[in-house]
Amino acid sequence: MALDLLNKQTVQVVDGRDLTWQDAICKASQPLIDNGTVGNDYVDSMIDVVEEKGPYINIGPNIALAHARPSSSCKKIGLALMKTNHVVNLTDEKHPVTLWFVLAATDSNSHLGVIQKLSEVLMNGENVQRLLRATTVDEILRVFK
Amino acid sequence: MKFEALCQSGLGSSFMVQMNIQNLLKQENVKEDIQVDHSDIGSATPDQADYFFLDPTLETSAGNLPKDRLIILNSLVDPNELKEKVNAILDKEGIEHS
Repeated sequence: MALDLLNKQTVQVVDGRDLTWQDAICKASQPLIDNGTVGNDYVDSMIDVVEEKGPYINIGPNIALAHARPSSSCKKIGLALMKTNHVVNLTDEKHPVTLWFVLAATDSNSHLGVIQKLSEVLMNGENVQRLLRATTVDEILRVFK
Repeated sequence: MKFEALCQSGLGSSFMVQMNIQNLLKQENVKEDIQVDHSDIGSATPDQADYFFLDPTLETSAGNLPKDRLIILNSLVDPNELKEKVNAILDKEGIEHS
């Protein structure tokens, strides 16, 4: 299913203590750069849009879904997740985040299946609690199975 | 009746909210034809929908939309908050639901 995009290559768990929110988005995106899904430009635009427009990617308690408009540096649909064991504030302390999702979209429609599946998982409070408690990549992947 | 979910880009989170509203309307056995769509806040106009759903960070950008038709969702993935706020609209509009 669509959430196969989350796998051992694209999911990470890190300490997070020394990260800024910009670092967190970069680090969470790194697997998508490594596997050729997005270029560095896309990562820069995800950061720029938060700097310009505020922390709207904070979609739920402790959850961020970083994304930007589709661009030429976005080669295919992608999803990555980084869990930080320590909270990183997204722009300010009103927006503490530990689950950093990164979504790459190539046009306005192709990623909708991914969003749909992701939303189904996150609308279940128990799943979110399991993700927030998870300390290993395997524990996280089990939630999306 | 039309609901519009808004987000900054009109790509990700607004679509998530749209689907969650559609699922909820199904769960609530709403028979009335309620259209649900999503778009970016920059292009939203007051006549585009009857109610607009958005997150608190967008409230200041929604200046051209009538305040009494804005529904602020603190979390986009909290089914209880969504249910409470959608049902409040349904009740106010006299739309039947379970």
